[in-house]
Amino acid sequence: MLAASLTPVPGNLFGNGLAVAIVATLHVQIATFMTGGSTLAVISEGIAMARNDPRHSQLSHDLIKGIAYLFSFGSAVAIFWVLWILMALWGRFFVDLTRITLYMFVFEAAAFVVEIIVLYTIYANWDRLGTYRRARLGLLVLLAVVLWFQMFLINVVASYMLSPNGGDVNQLSQVLNPTFLPLQLHRTVGNIAWAGAVLAFYAGLRYLLATRRARREVAVGTAPAHSVGAMSAARFANSSAPPARRDSRLPYWDWLGQWGVLWAVGLSLFQIWIGYSYAKEVQLHTFPAWFRMMRGTLSNVFLVQIFLLGMIFILGTLYFWRRMRASGARGTRTQIVCLVIIVLATLLAIQPAWFALSLPDVQAAHLDRPWWDGGLLNPIGDFIPNKVFALVLIMLCGLVAITSYLRAYSRGEVRMGETTRRLQGVLLALGVTVSLMMATMGVIRENSRQPFLIHGELRLQHQQIVTTPPQAPANSVNPGS
Amino acid sequence: MLRFAARPLARRFRSGYRWVDERAGTTDLVHKGLYEAVPDRGAWAYTLGSATLILIVLQFFTGIFLLLTYVPSFSSAWDSLRFLQTSDRFGNWVRGMHLWSAYVLILVIGLHMLRTFLSASYKRPRELNWVSGGMLFFLVLGLAITGAMLPMDNAGYWTTVVVTNIPHYLPFIGDPIRTLWRGGDFVGPITLTRTFAIHIWVLPFLLLALIGAHLYLLRRHGEFGAWVNYSTTTDDPDREIAERIRRAEPPYPTLRIERQYAAPRKTVDFFPNQLFKDTVVSIVLVAIIFVFGFIAGAPLDARADPATLTYVPTPEWFYLPLDQLLVLTPQTYLIAFGVFLLIGLGSLALILLPFYDRSPARRPLSRPEVLVPGLFLAFMVVILAVLGVNRLYGL
Amino acid sequence: MAGAEVLQLTRRQMVQLTGLGAAAIGLMLSIPAIGFLLSPLVQKTRETWVRVGAVPDLTVDQPKPVTVKVPSGEAYDTTPVDRIAYLVRKSDGATLVLTNTCSHMQCDVHFDPTLQQFLCPCHGGLYDVHGNNIGGPPPSPLPQWVHRFEQDSQTGQTILFIKNAYDESI
Repeated sequence: MLAASLTPVPGNLFGNGLAVAIVATLHVQIATFMTGGSTLAVISEGIAMARNDPRHSQLSHDLIKGIAYLFSFGSAVAIFWVLWILMALWGRFFVDLTRITLYMFVFEAAAFVVEIIVLYTIYANWDRLGTYRRARLGLLVLLAVVLWFQMFLINVVASYMLSPNGGDVNQLSQVLNPTFLPLQLHRTVGNIAWAGAVLAFYAGLRYLLATRRARREVAVGTAPAHSVGAMSAARFANSSAPPARRDSRLPYWDWLGQWGVLWAVGLSLFQIWIGYSYAKEVQLHTFPAWFRMMRGTLSNVFLVQIFLLGMIFILGTLYFWRRMRASGARGTRTQIVCLVIIVLATLLAIQPAWFALSLPDVQAAHLDRPWWDGGLLNPIGDFIPNKVFALVLIMLCGLVAITSYLRAYSRGEVRMGETTRRLQGVLLALGVTVSLMMATMGVIRENSRQPFLIHGELRLQHQQIVTTPPQAPANSVNPGS
Repeated sequence: MLRFAARPLARRFRSGYRWVDERAGTTDLVHKGLYEAVPDRGAWAYTLGSATLILIVLQFFTGIFLLLTYVPSFSSAWDSLRFLQTSDRFGNWVRGMHLWSAYVLILVIGLHMLRTFLSASYKRPRELNWVSGGMLFFLVLGLAITGAMLPMDNAGYWTTVVVTNIPHYLPFIGDPIRTLWRGGDFVGPITLTRTFAIHIWVLPFLLLALIGAHLYLLRRHGEFGAWVNYSTTTDDPDREIAERIRRAEPPYPTLRIERQYAAPRKTVDFFPNQLFKDTVVSIVLVAIIFVFGFIAGAPLDARADPATLTYVPTPEWFYLPLDQLLVLTPQTYLIAFGVFLLIGLGSLALILLPFYDRSPARRPLSRPEVLVPGLFLAFMVVILAVLGVNRLYGL
Repeated sequence: MAGAEVLQLTRRQMVQLTGLGAAAIGLMLSIPAIGFLLSPLVQKTRETWVRVGAVPDLTVDQPKPVTVKVPSGEAYDTTPVDRIAYLVRKSDGATLVLTNTCSHMQCDVHFDPTLQQFLCPCHGGLYDVHGNNIGGPPPSPLPQWVHRFEQDSQTGQTILFIKNAYDESI
């Protein structure tokens, strides 16, 4: 008699879920930076070739080096995740998922191989390809295309889990599930914005480290106080004491910080409409998930998210304002006005719409009246129309702030190298904010789909249920009996 | 044999031509039209304007043929178009050409606007050119939407319902406008008659008037040279500038950086060089319309059904971004804000662009105050269009 | 012999006279034209009552679509046009006679059984079973047809009459 029973899966749902969450978050942060960073590398290399700008060629090289290092670590994490965590702890689910979206995973694996070849070829031969810049640019474009293709495939799988349309026999309809395109747009814009935020963080960090020695010299007294912050030579023209020895790369870090902020803030402008559209599609096609996100317990997490989104624009506008001020540029008043409006709009946007854990709680307690009528509702925090109004206001002010900054920059009023140490804190905060947003988004995404792994088709409990195979009939010839 | 007969024929043709020329002045007209200096750089990009004109002429032409069959009556409109489609193979072809020419026209007009935007061709003294061009753009969009309302199939009927409902959100004058257009509270026969009148006369009349103004202004200012270069030294500035334009040599540009745009290194005559490129582009576009009109034709949905429970009203592709914006604009008075303030002010900003950007800078990267909002708008339109396609075509 | 010389008019006066003349012509042309154009604003739509028929059996909170023939009442149009009325019985016994016209852009709304809500396909507007707007862009609830119920004395059935007008302006 075949009476083999399956070994129970180790751990429990919560622990296994936590393991996936930790590894997935790490993977997501690295993979999204790689995708966005490769795009920025293509852009920088293109600009470097067209204008012979040494900063852009330096940046594209640095980006490739960074991507190569991160890829080496990140691919190990990803493989660990797939082989160990998903297969060992979530094997039943993973097998079923792969069975449905088989071709996506097959192409993903193939793209992985191509990615390894292209990335390490570029990394190892960067200088050798210096004479064949067009070929190098072509390879960079190929790398970016492969990375975007990988993201495309994984978006099919992720969006299918949220809004399956019964496409387990038809690959094209799998791809064309209702939440795929919004997710694709959302991640495309977000990846490049995240890469910009990482560049800003990195530039801020390097600037701080590079001015550490100068700061020490100021503290000790061997250099005048003003020689740490703004390093432009004009300021020391009349100074008797020699300025602290400065890193000649400081203007580069200054420029890189600004470049990163422009991408991070500029592309986040689009996320507002894209995010709203995405939520609308979820509302129309996976209503329970939408309800949990917007009216249920996850709505509190979304308040954190909207706060972080507002912070991106606050930090961006703050950076533009102080940076323009440090160089004495005109137009700082526009920045201050934008900053004030964005802060006020963010304060409006983070208002909770009810003072309880979720809306059903409020309704069950029959307290669905405004708080000034003795209830638990807060109409000021209504998404429609107040929060939408606040978000649109933030978007428009962000646009004005960026335009004003670029106007000053194109007039040459913002000179590289005149940034201050304090301003780097803004850059660091921006990087941390975007990183936190991505992690929070992961929490929201995974929990909104509960109790399903594939909405409407595969439940969480499916993973843990152990079954014995059916027993063979008694009168059959069975070698084991 | 033919050569023998040709000589007297040619002589007769020449004398015939001279007869017309003496009375109508054709040679002068032709010279004025054809012999104008045009910069050699970007010549292919400059063909978009004439392509737009050719497509508009094509619309008039195919429209006249549709007029010969179409009946603007609530009960007969669909039947007349069904007859047009099924009676012979050419009926649907003409209607198809009218539709595809409209699609290509909107695409080309968008590209033309993009080109003039990037080359800063709206700077002084050409502001009125841009203003008239912007109004032409909205007229063409109006023609497209009123045309879509005419067939009175499901698509036409529901487009009529939605489009005539849009003015309703204007405060005070909105409801009267809706009642006027519909001829009452509901869509009925008067609505179709009025829409028809708007489509074949009111808008085309305004279109022709503005095109005339647009072309006159274009020829008046020529194809290159802007305010920054118009500083003169003599006391007869018009003559001096005309001379400079004719010879296109220094001191025409004042700043070295502007030289690249102001005085082109090489000018060619409109005829034959630019005209050749214009002709090629026009032929290609008309050929595309010719082919697509035949193979794809113009769709005709089922007869208008006001009691449908399943039909999904879908706007034309060029209205998808606006439609997606309508999805995302929440209820209450903010529809007025979202639609009218944003779109209304946006359209006004588009038309009045030359008065916002008055700096002499012409390179795109030196004009971040228009480039950044312009890029934002362009990306926003693309993103909204993609989201609209996803939602409505059930991807 | 020009009339202007006889009347001893200066050029300025001539221009003013021409302006006045043009204004007079313009006025005479515009009054009938504009008056005609604006006439629908003062005309009343011909509202008529239509007998729909006996109210069918209804489950509480389950909308049931019924086709009604309603004349548009516009101008010279007398042909009745097919329209939809959704009949919904509420738990307190009242019956709603909802149109299927969305209050956002007047697209055709239908009841979606999986969502148990009215859904407008145009922009994703959502209404609950009683027609209250609960999601998406619609600014107000689904309008009802102006209606009345009559008891048929012979058969004892409730007959529904509707008028070709919405009970609230959308």
